[in-house]
Amino acid sequence: MIDFHTHPVLIQEFVEKYPDYERAARQVFNIGNNFQPLETFFLQMDVAGIERAVLAPIDCRRARKNAVSSNEQVVELCRRSDRFIGFASVDPLRKGAARELENAIKTMELKGLKLDPSLQDFHPGDRRVFAVYEAAAALGIPLLIHTGMSWAPETPLELGHPLLLEPAIRRWPTLSFVLAHFGWPWVWEATALALKYPNVYLDTSCLYYDSPKEFFQFVFSKQIPTTVIERSLRNKVVFGSNYPRVEMRNMVHAVKSLVLTEGCLNKIFKENAERLLSTP
Amino acid sequence: MIIKLERIRIQTRKSEEVIDITPRVEEAVEKSGIKNGLVNVLTSHTSSGVLVTEGIPCLEEDILTHFSRLFPEDEDYHHRRYLDYDGRLGFNADAHLKSVIGGISCMFPIENGKLVKGSRQTIYFMEYDGPLERTYFVQLLGE
Repeated sequence: MIDFHTHPVLIQEFVEKYPDYERAARQVFNIGNNFQPLETFFLQMDVAGIERAVLAPIDCRRARKNAVSSNEQVVELCRRSDRFIGFASVDPLRKGAARELENAIKTMELKGLKLDPSLQDFHPGDRRVFAVYEAAAALGIPLLIHTGMSWAPETPLELGHPLLLEPAIRRWPTLSFVLAHFGWPWVWEATALALKYPNVYLDTSCLYYDSPKEFFQFVFSKQIPTTVIERSLRNKVVFGSNYPRVEMRNMVHAVKSLVLTEGCLNKIFKENAERLLSTP
Repeated sequence: MIIKLERIRIQTRKSEEVIDITPRVEEAVEKSGIKNGLVNVLTSHTSSGVLVTEGIPCLEEDILTHFSRLFPEDEDYHHRRYLDYDGRLGFNADAHLKSVIGGISCMFPIENGKLVKGSRQTIYFMEYDGPLERTYFVQLLGE
């Protein structure tokens, strides 16, 4: 199984090595859990049955002073284990962002792009961002982009609305947009985008109240019918946990609690992610 | 009077785990130089525990099985809400309640520089919400 959405924000080994790492976790990302040795990350993967995990940094230095994990930190972790799949993040409003992305993919061997309009404080339809979409499309990498509500403080909800991405989705049909958190609370809007556009995918990393199982039972049977996933979006949904905001095993159990066929679950947990991560 | 405190880290490897820490506590007692006194063992977390029972695998299994029967993961808990101080949802009430019922500490006498305990007694660190790196305290008092 592949977890398409994790954040390496609580790595104990990085606390002393990188002076701003703790501030980024506590004040920018807003997580209060104890820092853990890297070994815990692997053990969490093991108990969840996760073989590989995407590590997503967020370059929000302009907007929030510190990055929530840097590309360099992600590369460092990927060098320690081939179980990690490193993504890059760039600030799309910074001059030279497209070139920085190209360098991160070609030189640092990162495999995708992570953007978070809420934390990075940009409008997804802003024309100044287009150069980064263009570069990602040219590089043939997937874009994992935050949609929906963010738990990070001082982040506006409206920048997470999935429909703000529609112009870019239409303009770059070869760029795979993975809408994180299923766009919650705009689940119908995110679903509509995934139904309509071949280049739109959704990740399962949504949890905003109750337990993972309870939340999934509501969102994926009452907000939208489970059959939409089984019948129409089986090739468009990837498993994401948002670890360490949630433990991977809890999200795995939540997805498995849905009434989905084994074939559909295989696609969500593995095949769809493998296809997105395969180079063109 | 001598008072010493050791903070001992332990890496748990499963979501629930029973770990025998008796040798580590005995080592702390013997290293302390205390001849007569008390040793207190205490977890520093609220979703793990410290308890004492007979050190045999069947009982280790029974404890976890029956704690889970008392506090099933899918029960209706008020704790399942957003915890703003943690930046995440609280959905591990079952682990907290197991910690409450199983206890978080134990105390034993020290005599002639050795831990004094019954022949069947084993000191366990209890993981209810792992895998995580955990810390427990061993505090020694005496002379």
